[in-house]
Amino acid sequence: MGTIDRRDFLKLVGAGGVGAAAGFVLAEAIKHPVEHLIPYPVPPEEFSPGVAAWYNTVCSMCPAGCGISVRTLEGRAKKIEGNPSHPVNQGRLCALGQAGLQVLYNPDRLTGPLMRTGARGAGPFVQTTWDDGIAELAGRLNELRADGRSDRVSFLTAGVRGHLAALLELLMAELPGARLLQYDFDHPHTLLAANERFFGAGSLPYYDLENARYVLSFGADYLGGWLSPVHHALGFGRSRQGRSGARGRFVQVEPRMSLSGAAADEWIPARPGTEGFLALGIARQLVAEGGYEGADRDAWAAALDGHTADAVAAQTGVPAATIRRLAGDFAGTRPSLALGGGATGGHTNGVDALVAVNALNYLAGNVGRPGGVLFNPPPAFGPRARAAHASYRDMLALAEDARRGRIEILVVSDTNPVFTLPAAAGFAEALAAIPYIVSLSSFMDETTGLADRVLPSHTYLESWGDDSPEPGVGFTVGAIAQPVVAPLYDTRSKGDILLGIARALGAGEDFPWANMEDYLKAGWREVYGRAPIPAEAGGFEAFWISVLRAGVWGENGRRESGSPAVEARVIDAVGVAPPEFAGSSDEFPFVLHPYLSHALRDGRGANLPWMQELPDPMTSVWYGSWVELNPATAERLGLREGDVVDVESAHGKIGVPVYVFPAIMPDVVAMPIGQGHAGYGRYASRRGANPIQLLAPLTEPVTGGLASSATRVRLVPTGRRVSLVKQGGESRQLGRGIVRTTGAAAVTGPGARLASIPIKVEST
Amino acid sequence: MEPGRSGRQSGNPGDDRTGVSIVPALRILRPPALVLGVGLAGVAFGYWANTTYFPGTTPEQPIEFSHRIHAGDNQIPCLYCHSQARRSAIAGVPSVNRCMGCHEKVATDRPLIREVARYFADKEPIPWVKVHDLPDFVHFPHKRHVLADIACQTCHGPVETMDRVTRLAPTKMGQCRACHEEHAVVNGQDCWTCHK
Amino acid sequence: MSFLDDFRARWRAYRHPGHYERFDYAWTMTIDLDRCTGCEACVTACQAENNIPIVGEEALAKGREMQWIRIERYWEGEYPDVKLRFIPMLCQHCDAAPCETVCPVTATYHNQDGLNAQIYNRCIGTRSCSVYCPYEVRYFNYNVHHWDKPLDEQLNPDVTVREKGVMEKCTFCIQRIRQAKDHAKDDGRRRVRDGEMQPACVQSCPAEALVFGDRQDPQSRVAKMMADPRAYRVLEELNTSPSVVYLKKVGADAG
Repeated sequence: MGTIDRRDFLKLVGAGGVGAAAGFVLAEAIKHPVEHLIPYPVPPEEFSPGVAAWYNTVCSMCPAGCGISVRTLEGRAKKIEGNPSHPVNQGRLCALGQAGLQVLYNPDRLTGPLMRTGARGAGPFVQTTWDDGIAELAGRLNELRADGRSDRVSFLTAGVRGHLAALLELLMAELPGARLLQYDFDHPHTLLAANERFFGAGSLPYYDLENARYVLSFGADYLGGWLSPVHHALGFGRSRQGRSGARGRFVQVEPRMSLSGAAADEWIPARPGTEGFLALGIARQLVAEGGYEGADRDAWAAALDGHTADAVAAQTGVPAATIRRLAGDFAGTRPSLALGGGATGGHTNGVDALVAVNALNYLAGNVGRPGGVLFNPPPAFGPRARAAHASYRDMLALAEDARRGRIEILVVSDTNPVFTLPAAAGFAEALAAIPYIVSLSSFMDETTGLADRVLPSHTYLESWGDDSPEPGVGFTVGAIAQPVVAPLYDTRSKGDILLGIARALGAGEDFPWANMEDYLKAGWREVYGRAPIPAEAGGFEAFWISVLRAGVWGENGRRESGSPAVEARVIDAVGVAPPEFAGSSDEFPFVLHPYLSHALRDGRGANLPWMQELPDPMTSVWYGSWVELNPATAERLGLREGDVVDVESAHGKIGVPVYVFPAIMPDVVAMPIGQGHAGYGRYASRRGANPIQLLAPLTEPVTGGLASSATRVRLVPTGRRVSLVKQGGESRQLGRGIVRTTGAAAVTGPGARLASIPIKVEST
Repeated sequence: MEPGRSGRQSGNPGDDRTGVSIVPALRILRPPALVLGVGLAGVAFGYWANTTYFPGTTPEQPIEFSHRIHAGDNQIPCLYCHSQARRSAIAGVPSVNRCMGCHEKVATDRPLIREVARYFADKEPIPWVKVHDLPDFVHFPHKRHVLADIACQTCHGPVETMDRVTRLAPTKMGQCRACHEEHAVVNGQDCWTCHK
Repeated sequence: MSFLDDFRARWRAYRHPGHYERFDYAWTMTIDLDRCTGCEACVTACQAENNIPIVGEEALAKGREMQWIRIERYWEGEYPDVKLRFIPMLCQHCDAAPCETVCPVTATYHNQDGLNAQIYNRCIGTRSCSVYCPYEVRYFNYNVHHWDKPLDEQLNPDVTVREKGVMEKCTFCIQRIRQAKDHAKDDGRRRVRDGEMQPACVQSCPAEALVFGDRQDPQSRVAKMMADPRAYRVLEELNTSPSVVYLKKVGADAG
């Protein structure tokens, strides 16, 4: 027999033992980890686990006010869809609207009231309490009020509508002389002023793209972000292929092709700031050829005299033949519709240019008719007085007042002027002169970073509110916004914060509502009063529930028609001054065309990972900033894609890589707005550059709005090169026939209008 | 190993050794190969021992809830507590509230019941350990199966006889496939039906 | 069936994987390029619905994107007569899919609804399928994905969260199809009606460019859209029989 000695025996025993242990541990390690089943102590009534509950509310990602339905499972918001019943978006929703979930669940949300320690903008914020925060603010407000100095108080918000605006108005009434400014970078000041001047109504009209057959847009990126992009896209789609035998034709006039320019049948580059001349030229031809038969025909002919196709061609750079053809098409294809806005309004002659566009619509008979410009009835609820939106000039005045010590308390909510105002405004420095700044923002953006106290508000998905959309849909409509989830953190809705301040001011009697929901209900009793339900059928409570269930309320679904007469003095005043630019063309050979980035808008979307990872529709670039150059210009300057250049104006410079963009005028460069944050969370910070910083403080004289398209810049190569991260590979089809076009005037065969699809809501 | 120590001599290993005898043929499995072999056998043994004696099919629960008492002796229907099984993909466990529905009055002197009452008073959920756990890539809808009149015991076994719930079902795909095939379930053989 | 017929049927099934005599539902999507504006609402809607991870700038620089539906853009012409064309590109659910032929473990196959199915737990990550796909609509998980809390609260529990090492692609929102069939079954064992269910992209599209439904139902909207003279399929010449039908964009010289 073979033998084994003791050492070997021990080795074997050891090996066996270790092996057994290893095997045991291996079996344990690959075992499925223990999972738990966590029941509710007391189940909420609203939902069953595994079955979704849908809540209707209003989207707040842009001012359009689309209605949304949010799918929630076990109290968590999972998916946002458009509300099929809401006439603005009819069940559809844009990319930014879908990203609202990332606002709610953003990791960089402020979770509770904060107080600054250390220097402003540098010192860390520490947690504090609501009682503390409200008491201190109210205490200071009371102090000023008792002294008769409540004119030293300023509230600075984004544009607000509905009952929240009414509540703000009430609060302002408690502080005599206090100022309320509503500031948004892209507020259409010049459009409103043009409508005021021409139609006598300084509001946003309803543009009926759906029924138009020829749409001529001067700078308005109606599909990209102008006014109500989802509604416009619906109208665009239906105008194109939703009617039997009549395909809508779209023409876009702008120096740099926007999303609407890409969708258009024709993109017409015109020199920046000269679009108004083009409108006048087309109007002149229309009148001259007998297309307008109003009584004041002669006055119009006289006013438009001189804007011949050749004259306009010289001013705009658009060939005279093209101008004549456009005029013929616009007059000959009815209903036609002219839109004006965006960069066209962003010049020193912006109001005049948009008045010219209004005139064009008027002369072509588009006003007050389907397929044209219709007027919205006044909102059914909201503040008594229409709040004035702060123009650039108003913000400069605010900054100046701050510097002179005339502002002692500033309350900021939902707006980020430190980011969205040019460096030339010196706004951040002016803030330093204000002794007490409170921010109600949900995020630590650049402006909130300079605050003394932060009282963070709920996101829109956690708040009660309501909205009467602007631009409307041509008839009275409103929607209630309700919370879709319980609040995540120790935040409060803006309405509740305002009510808390009012009560702490001692004005509890004038604010007899326990919370925002109460206030809304009280306000909506008036709306209900327009068409009450008998008490047996449930009265107001039944009405309230029905509005929440539908997500929308409206009356009189027909659009009013009719065109107001235009006064003689308005006709005489029709005319456009040449645009002014900041910077000489020798030193600064290019005109800078900043545009709202598709995903990030005015910078608000930069903290949302979905929006950072959404390729720019035109260039497909992700995550960064770039400057767009005409190919011939790039060649002339010896620049290729990725070469980093300093874009320099008289007011600053930023370094960004070049993108060679085929559809931009040779002496125009374009940059997207939205990146370049110095705060605002991990996804937004220190990424790209903010072209707003470069803008010159040039304003449109009537409104004081920033002429954001009127800054001249130069490009200084840095010698550095980066690789632009883009989704697109080869940008030409090279005969592959992937996107095919047909020359025939083809329309969808069945011709049936593709109606909005009713979404079946999950039920138990 | 120094030659001359413990009787070992250089040259032919295995000659003149002291100690326990082993079968001569196994002489060829000298260490380290033998060590490796025994080691691997040990691994296999350890693995088997773990899966046989510690299978985890009957985990200990935070409260020793007995299905035998409730579903067996007292004949409470499964769906009374697991009410979501008929309506949703998730069967779920009853809320603490559901327990207190009876146990506010029933058997309140027993220590386990007092524990449940404490959870309820503190508004704290009872952290039950999941016995029938499927991987996350399996989407099993209870609703369809309950509505197809499949008795709970078909997969879960005679739960009404269990004091502590034991996982009798193998929870492997073969069981699902066999039943789907037998009953010719619509879309039942399509992977995407469950693995979406 | 005689032995010969049975053999022929089996041989045909072997030679044409994914070939069915008749689908249960033949899910089809039509995309009207004359309506599509390139707004990318479909891209974000899909991301939200299907737990699509954020891959980050570094991965994107390596071309490792993760978007089940993407908007492709093609320039035509030179300044100033330049045009930009958009086309949404997603899994075409080809009835003769090249990807199905190559998978060594049959993690991708054609199901009875005409869909190209991708089973994550079966996939071993050879990535051959993405090489075979002529539309480049298959996306591989090169990294372990991570959602900064509490962004993971938004994840859809009806959709599997994919691990590193598996391939994924558009599923025509199979979870919604399953849910629609579930509801239809509850509602008296009927069939899913046209328009009752749409994938997230179709539901969100502001221009109504996407239409989805069962092409075997002659009353369905997709069947009517497919009958349009503008209808075509991308890379038709490769004979992949896609289930996504595009409608040609109307050129500028049209009325």
